[in-house]
Amino acid sequence: MALEDFKADALRCTRCSYCKWIPFDLVKSHDYAKGCPSVDYNKFHSYSAGGRLITMLSLMQGRSEVDDDVVDIAFKCQLCGNCDVACKVCRYDMEPLAGIKEFRRTLNEQGKVPAAFPKLIGNLRSAGNFAGLPQAARRGWTEGLGLKELAPGGAAAGAAAPVLFHAGCRYSFDPTLRSKVQAAAKVLTAGGLDFAVDPAEACCTGKAYDMGYRDDFAAGAKANLEKWAAAGVKTVVTPCATCFWTFKRLYPEVAAAAGLEVPEILHTTQMADRLLKAGALRPARRVSLSVTYHDPCHLGRQGEDYEAWDGKEVKIYGQAVVYDPPRPRYNGAGGVYDAPRDVLKAIPGIELIEMERSREAAWCCGAGGNVREAYPEFNAWTAGVRVEEAKSTGAEALVSACSGCEKNFAEAVAAAAAEGAPAGDLKIYDVLELLEQSL
Amino acid sequence: MPISDEAYAALEAIVGKENVSRNPAVMDSYAFQWLAELVRPELSHFMPRPVAVVMPGSTEEVQAIVKLANKYKIKVKPHSTGWYHWAAPMYDDKDTMQLDMRRMNKIEIDEKNGIAIVEPYVIHAQLHAEAIKRGWTCNIIGAGCSCSVVAAACAYMGMGPGAYYMGGHAENVLGMEWITPAGEIVRSGSLGSGDGWFNSEGPGPSVRGVIRGALGQRGGLGVFTRCAIKLVHWSGRTDWPVTGTIPAYRLPVDETQRAYTLAAPDWDRWADLYYKIYDNELGFIFHRQFNLAGADLAPAFWLMYTDPTKKLSDVPAMVADPEIAELTEEMRISFQIVLSGRSVADIELQDQILDDVLAETGCWKVERFCDKDMAEFTNVYLQRLGHKHINFVWVGGYIGSWMQIGTPDWVKGYIPTAQAGLARDAKDGLLVQCGGDAMMGPGSSYPGGGGVGLEQFVSYDPNDEASTRAGIKHMEDAITDALSIGYPPGKEAMYLEMGHSDDRTFKKWAAAKQPFTFIFQRKIKEHYDPNDIGDRMYNYIPEEYEPAK
Repeated sequence: MALEDFKADALRCTRCSYCKWIPFDLVKSHDYAKGCPSVDYNKFHSYSAGGRLITMLSLMQGRSEVDDDVVDIAFKCQLCGNCDVACKVCRYDMEPLAGIKEFRRTLNEQGKVPAAFPKLIGNLRSAGNFAGLPQAARRGWTEGLGLKELAPGGAAAGAAAPVLFHAGCRYSFDPTLRSKVQAAAKVLTAGGLDFAVDPAEACCTGKAYDMGYRDDFAAGAKANLEKWAAAGVKTVVTPCATCFWTFKRLYPEVAAAAGLEVPEILHTTQMADRLLKAGALRPARRVSLSVTYHDPCHLGRQGEDYEAWDGKEVKIYGQAVVYDPPRPRYNGAGGVYDAPRDVLKAIPGIELIEMERSREAAWCCGAGGNVREAYPEFNAWTAGVRVEEAKSTGAEALVSACSGCEKNFAEAVAAAAAEGAPAGDLKIYDVLELLEQSL
Repeated sequence: MPISDEAYAALEAIVGKENVSRNPAVMDSYAFQWLAELVRPELSHFMPRPVAVVMPGSTEEVQAIVKLANKYKIKVKPHSTGWYHWAAPMYDDKDTMQLDMRRMNKIEIDEKNGIAIVEPYVIHAQLHAEAIKRGWTCNIIGAGCSCSVVAAACAYMGMGPGAYYMGGHAENVLGMEWITPAGEIVRSGSLGSGDGWFNSEGPGPSVRGVIRGALGQRGGLGVFTRCAIKLVHWSGRTDWPVTGTIPAYRLPVDETQRAYTLAAPDWDRWADLYYKIYDNELGFIFHRQFNLAGADLAPAFWLMYTDPTKKLSDVPAMVADPEIAELTEEMRISFQIVLSGRSVADIELQDQILDDVLAETGCWKVERFCDKDMAEFTNVYLQRLGHKHINFVWVGGYIGSWMQIGTPDWVKGYIPTAQAGLARDAKDGLLVQCGGDAMMGPGSSYPGGGGVGLEQFVSYDPNDEASTRAGIKHMEDAITDALSIGYPPGKEAMYLEMGHSDDRTFKKWAAAKQPFTFIFQRKIKEHYDPNDIGDRMYNYIPEEYEPAK
């Protein structure tokens, strides 16, 4: 792809600003109608999806040049995808989220990236993870759990593991999240699932893709796919929504190019839901708690199944735009929304209260698109908005299914507590943490 | 020319550095506007670029900005959500700063008196959501709930599918806070005398006719910073229990409401039915909505749209389906109506009356579009008007031609010409060929009926030069077509005017049959805008263009 491939999207944008709001049919209040953290925080139209397409057009037409403001416009965005959902309420010929990602890749190729990026990608290249932590520290969360391990060399070493549990970097390295990933592993074990963890687990590299470092992403993806193929992995289950999305939506293109297969990809909430519905898990202990569930962007609206497509635009009825063959329509309708809710509903004592902005209209936690690392104030503001919304439901706890979301919310709640704000007493849980408590 | 460092620093001092920009890329995101390519040289999608974009956060900041604009002789163009080419600067040779009003977004609802006080960046979706929670609702303008209430109430038409029952914003605005181009704060009606927002005409200054009129001045004469709008009784559920998923959500139809698609065998009986609906005071939201996709394609399009597994490319096969082909003929002349009763008995009586008038006029309910699923979709579509961007669904470019407003009999007089004009202009494939008429519009823009208007939906590809030029030609043709049958030009004339020079436009207005209006408005402009920081969206003719007395 190239910037030019999104010129038609830009020219067909009407500046309607739907991309700034949640789908209008879902608006239930003045306060929770907005859908785009980027434009709500940065205010100028340029920070909306439509504004970014226009900025791209302005650059393509030579009307403006790349400067610090333009870099900010491209990267100060969580890539949460609300714009994509809202735009596609009415449009079939626009791909705003893909356009923004191409904008980033283009600037990255010109060396125009936020100041935080070189160090981050340097960490990935040198240490294998964006935090720059030693690989040996990754295994700490498995201690005492007695989990099977994928043998070095995988199947060739005679230790085939049809189901691989991929913890993800943040869950692996961050001690504040350790209990959550451990709970996920305990739940799957309790459900009788035969799975292994990879002591040499590597980063999914999805963040590199969103930063515009496509080669780094592709190299990481190919290495993981090759390792899984060698180990005979049939299913990868992960508690991290970003890893889930990376494997599910980004890996297939790499796999196709390399002649590899992508295993079945499941989020831990999906696997737990399967085990619950199969009767392998029987939550019996009461967990008396009112909770509200936050849909991670990468599990919810961006968690749709990948569809390969290699086609072109054609016109019918003179000028109406369609695609031959029909183009996949990623609009959030097929995201993973019900599995985590069904798990929560299966836990005795849990009262689930929905936030106004939920499912495909969920407000982002703030961490996506590398905003957490590159724009910490914006990241914290976005998370703060969400925990306030969660608090407004009256729930005691905010529950999610993603390491980035949970980390961000924990910090936002701590900040609220420090300010004496009402959201300061919210508890933060992973869905499977609560399920584990009920077993 | 670029804004001076001195003026820019003064703007920063008013609103804070983070709320003003003169970065070319940032300003281009304001210069880019829908319809620009139809009026700009070389089909550019950009209107003139402002010299700065400024985001005020209060009435006082707006006032300070406007005074600064007078000092530095910079024009001021405010917009709220900013969706139309006339929301942007219109002069290449005159410096203009764009005011983006998004920081002013507060809403206050006087629940007891049914009044909402809103700032410019409150959109109709927010107002509607807050109103229904309290047993009130509101008119939502035809452009949809994404649009600003203040802009529609103070500076543009403000009509919509609900205006027939609820009144348009021209009627419903109860008070305005207006920063004149000279930088004075004018609070109209009862607000101006410190008595709150309950009345637009007093006690206090009544300026609604001066600064608002029927069409509004589209940002051409000062800045509106707040207004009050009248709410309307809502007898439905207050929890807005929307179901389903993108793109076509559903809203269950309350036991005191109905959502129907009605159809007529010909335009004469269509007009008869409209009159009987008016005469019997039926209808809460009343709109010819779904035909925007074109009479040949609309049924298939909407059945595609309401199925989340389908795509636009499924439409041709659906059109060919014999059942849908039959449905297409059944609803070729159709429209949508939502009824609202204050009780079950009330809605049952309305139903009975509607059945009677349908029988009397030989019209009918389109069963497929009145079944539970489509009724719930129709209900959410018309109650919230959250799908208005579907106007652009075929290819991203849409223009509305015609839309002259009058009685049903008067409107039906231009339908054959409008229909033939679209067929003629689309026959070479440069415009979307959606067949028949693609005319959409309110059952009445005015309370109680009589103000029906139909707008021909014409779709062109903004990414295709030949298609864009065909769109321009269609607008020019529509003007000629209208004049040829004794009708005034419609919406397209307003669109095109944005690309004309002041000289051409002033000459045209001077040649109008009633130039006095433009002369009178010049005198208003001279009073309120002595340094000419507004633009001709507030329509006037300079003295030198005034026709000889």
